Amino acid sequence: MNSKSPSNSHTSAYSLSRQLGVYFLLAIVFVVGLLLVLNQLAGLMGTATQEAQAVDIANNSISAALSEEPPQLDSSKTTDASSGLVLGHVMEGLLRMDLKDRLGPAIAERWDVTPTHATFWLRKDAKWSDGQPITAADFIFAWQLALKPETGSEYASLLYPIENAEAINSGELPTSALGLSAPDPQTLVVKLARPMAFFDKLVVFPTFLPIREDFYKATQGRFGSDAEELLYSGPYVIKNWVHGASMLLERNPHYWDSTRGKLAQVNFAYITSDATATLNFFKDKRIALAGLQAENLTEALRLKWPIRRFADGTVFYMEFNHRVDRLSRNLNFRKAIQHSLDMEELVYKVTKLPGYMPGKSLFPEWLIGVEKPLREEYPASTVDIDRAEAKAYLELAQKELGLKDFPEITLLTGDNPVSNIQSEWLQEVLKKTLGLTIKIDKQIFKQRLAKMSSGDFDLLLGGWGPDYNDPLTFGDLFASWNLNNRGRYSSETMDALILTAQSATATPDRMEAFGDIQQQLFDDVVILPMYERGITYVVHPQLKGVKRRVIGASIDYTYAYIDPDA
Amino acid sequence: MSEPSTTTWHPSPSDFAPKPKHKSADAITRPAMSYWQDAWRRLKENKRALFSLYLIIGLVTFTLAGPYLWTIDPSAQDLDQIGITPGANRNVTIAPAYQPWYGPTNELYYDDDNALGLTLVGDATSQAVRLAWKSTLRGPGSAPYSDQFNHGYVIYRTLFALEPSDAFGLPLMETKNHFFEDRLDLQPTDYYYTVVALDSQGLETGQFATIALTVKRVITILEAQQRGLTKNGAVVEGDQIELALHPFGTDYLGRDMLARLIYGGQVSLFIGIFAPLLYVLLGVIYGSIAGFMGGGIDQLMMRFADFAVALPFLLFMILLKVIFGIGPGESGVLPMLVAMVILLWPAPARLVRGQILQIREESYVSASQLLGASTNYLIFRHMIPNTMGVILVTITFQVPSAIFTEAFLSFIGMGVAPPTPSWGSMCNDGIKSMLTRPHELFFPALFISITVLAFNLLGDGLRDSLDARMRNRE
Repeated sequence: MNSKSPSNSHTSAYSLSRQLGVYFLLAIVFVVGLLLVLNQLAGLMGTATQEAQAVDIANNSISAALSEEPPQLDSSKTTDASSGLVLGHVMEGLLRMDLKDRLGPAIAERWDVTPTHATFWLRKDAKWSDGQPITAADFIFAWQLALKPETGSEYASLLYPIENAEAINSGELPTSALGLSAPDPQTLVVKLARPMAFFDKLVVFPTFLPIREDFYKATQGRFGSDAEELLYSGPYVIKNWVHGASMLLERNPHYWDSTRGKLAQVNFAYITSDATATLNFFKDKRIALAGLQAENLTEALRLKWPIRRFADGTVFYMEFNHRVDRLSRNLNFRKAIQHSLDMEELVYKVTKLPGYMPGKSLFPEWLIGVEKPLREEYPASTVDIDRAEAKAYLELAQKELGLKDFPEITLLTGDNPVSNIQSEWLQEVLKKTLGLTIKIDKQIFKQRLAKMSSGDFDLLLGGWGPDYNDPLTFGDLFASWNLNNRGRYSSETMDALILTAQSATATPDRMEAFGDIQQQLFDDVVILPMYERGITYVVHPQLKGVKRRVIGASIDYTYAYIDPDA
Repeated sequence: MSEPSTTTWHPSPSDFAPKPKHKSADAITRPAMSYWQDAWRRLKENKRALFSLYLIIGLVTFTLAGPYLWTIDPSAQDLDQIGITPGANRNVTIAPAYQPWYGPTNELYYDDDNALGLTLVGDATSQAVRLAWKSTLRGPGSAPYSDQFNHGYVIYRTLFALEPSDAFGLPLMETKNHFFEDRLDLQPTDYYYTVVALDSQGLETGQFATIALTVKRVITILEAQQRGLTKNGAVVEGDQIELALHPFGTDYLGRDMLARLIYGGQVSLFIGIFAPLLYVLLGVIYGSIAGFMGGGIDQLMMRFADFAVALPFLLFMILLKVIFGIGPGESGVLPMLVAMVILLWPAPARLVRGQILQIREESYVSASQLLGASTNYLIFRHMIPNTMGVILVTITFQVPSAIFTEAFLSFIGMGVAPPTPSWGSMCNDGIKSMLTRPHELFFPALFISITVLAFNLLGDGLRDSLDARMRNRE
């Protein structure tokens, strides 16, 4: 036997460590070599991805990333944000929001809304991307299509202000009964089911975009599913759509408005929801715009990137469950929580996300009232955060509910990092201040939606993004009949106020109703506003005129241009 | 050839008496040692294994005795010290409570060394930084200032000194006011604020002003009292005190890392040690029965093990949670343990069965059998000591995998429920801020690594010392 005796452990340990050292070195050399070879190979094969160039001055083109692939681009059915973004570039409706977020003319040169009718006069030079004129018939067809029960449009209810729309959508009347008429090809008359002062604000929504009947029928059910299956009315057309990978937009030669579509091409070169990947594309100068996360912020500051800020219009709030068997139905219980949670602490110290603003009201700051912002005309009430007072309210609630101890409270929330931080902060504050035990129920979106609808929660972290530019998009949320009122809050005062806001014709009356709704939400502690979301992002210095929007395309490149001198 | 002796021998009865019994024979053997005594003696000679053993005992003591020595609540949030590193400066000044600010009230002296007269109002504290500036935007010609020409301002903030033509940093707010209050995540460090005037199109003009300032960390008397920071009696405004000590820093919600490591260790070590111990034990029993019986029973048992391997772990985890009646937001550690035990035993069972099959055919087992050894003797004397190496190696490799399984399940909300920490869930939280605050990932990862390494080295040493075959080599 020539093997070493185990008792000679010093020598064997030494030789073992030397052997290990050699193996380790070999392993490192191998890995480094492999990396180099792979890098070379990737360089040889990856020419296709290297074509994306953030700003291409010679071709007057830019590259960007889409966070998600649009499921389809049939405007009568669309619901999601990324479809909204693409449709905002390739389609145009009757009216649109201008650069200052005011309602402005688009295909309709002028318009008029009376309590009974809305009339739109279409411009003569508006053309489809195949050169044919856009007429009132295209709108009538599109709106009838969206209301057909077999279309299954989720946003069909936006069309309900039109006469007979609701009955058509439920299949009680034929589509021809819809209250639309076209005295001539350039005039569209809408008969309203009830007075609606802000009907013109509604038509900005994608569901109101035109669709031409002969083209739609020729696609045989494939309308909107691919680049060739769409007819465009906007400043761009989809030149190339590689599903799941990229989308190339090119200027529409038949588009009427020369102030839009300055870039010859907008290349959505990447489709990825990974924020870090997007930021790395920006770092590598592959794309011209990228969102910024809290963890990348210091790096962005150090690299001195031009950072922009934008409030995306979404409000986040905590909802209470007002169903009969829940203890959150007790007003004093809700008031106790209202007096314990300092949303400024949450926004400024805990989540620390730049661009976020502490919530004070269901109505975000950007909504316009009569003349000035609604929140300036009707300031929101606030409470002082006071431990003793909160405790007193809780004791009152305990007495009213006849409870010896409070049971565990369930907080339903999402499963993303921001929700985690918020719910853990909330859990600790409510434990420290009120001695309540909070159970955090983290759920993915679909599951959360199911639980929200069935009322399987005490507290709920929710949010609402606007569908159109009127306070009513938020204001009717807590009507007893609204299915998005997840806590099933029901009050006659509130319902009456919402009816006023919906049907009053004079703007000051409506705004006063919104002011009252805001006060009622506060007095009755229906919800606790938490924050208004903000977005920080970085833009290539040579790309100018990118517009961020609260409603419609969240990123709008139609006014963007390249400034080679910057 | 010699003659035989002629002397005759007459046996006497005493010759047939039994020899007297000796109490002890002259011992010429080495001291008798039991199997375990011998194993322990050899383990003691292995310095690495012994050190690992002490390390494991130390870790267990750390997590069990820790709560009595370090009495900080692991879920208490110190919002003044979010994400601080170990050894960070803890000085804080007592200041009056925060009051909302609606712009400068009395006549303010504006700095005139910048374009907008941008001035810091009051002290720059971690409660708020208040800025005010003058409007220099005027109408055409020498028309006086009028609100009509005020198109608003953008306020930027950055952490790095600005060179000409640099981007100004993070935009905080657009306002038409001539003052601004910043309260967003103010840390005791240097900041550079820039105010840029906008034109009628809402675009930035070339008119801007930058000031540099250093933020001072402050706390109110009430907060200091509530957090027990006023050790020796009363404090007044302006006093310097120290914030709570966090030797290992804090996490993203200002929770003490040391306390979380202690409490997190309880969960992680519990799962990490008990789950493998239980399912390896189950596997050993199952595998040795199958291996020892052999034949049809072995076939049947092993096919059942194959079936158990094919069961999806996550699905069983969910089913068990339902069976145990554990709702969302409640700790799922118990079903996790049960799921691991009923699903992960086949791997050790297979290993042990293979070993037993091999040992069964060894000649010393046959010899033992021929000498009449009972089945029990065979199992305890020959089979188990010879498979001990495999079993221990399996356990030591299962410990890290169990810790990581717990981490993964906590991450998807099936394991520990917040705010209960575990090392794995702390790693998952820390990885998000790995680049900015590495200590949040480093410490739990370090503890997991130490535990895993210690178990591996100990297992290695145990295998050597428990292996009966190595006994004769000394």
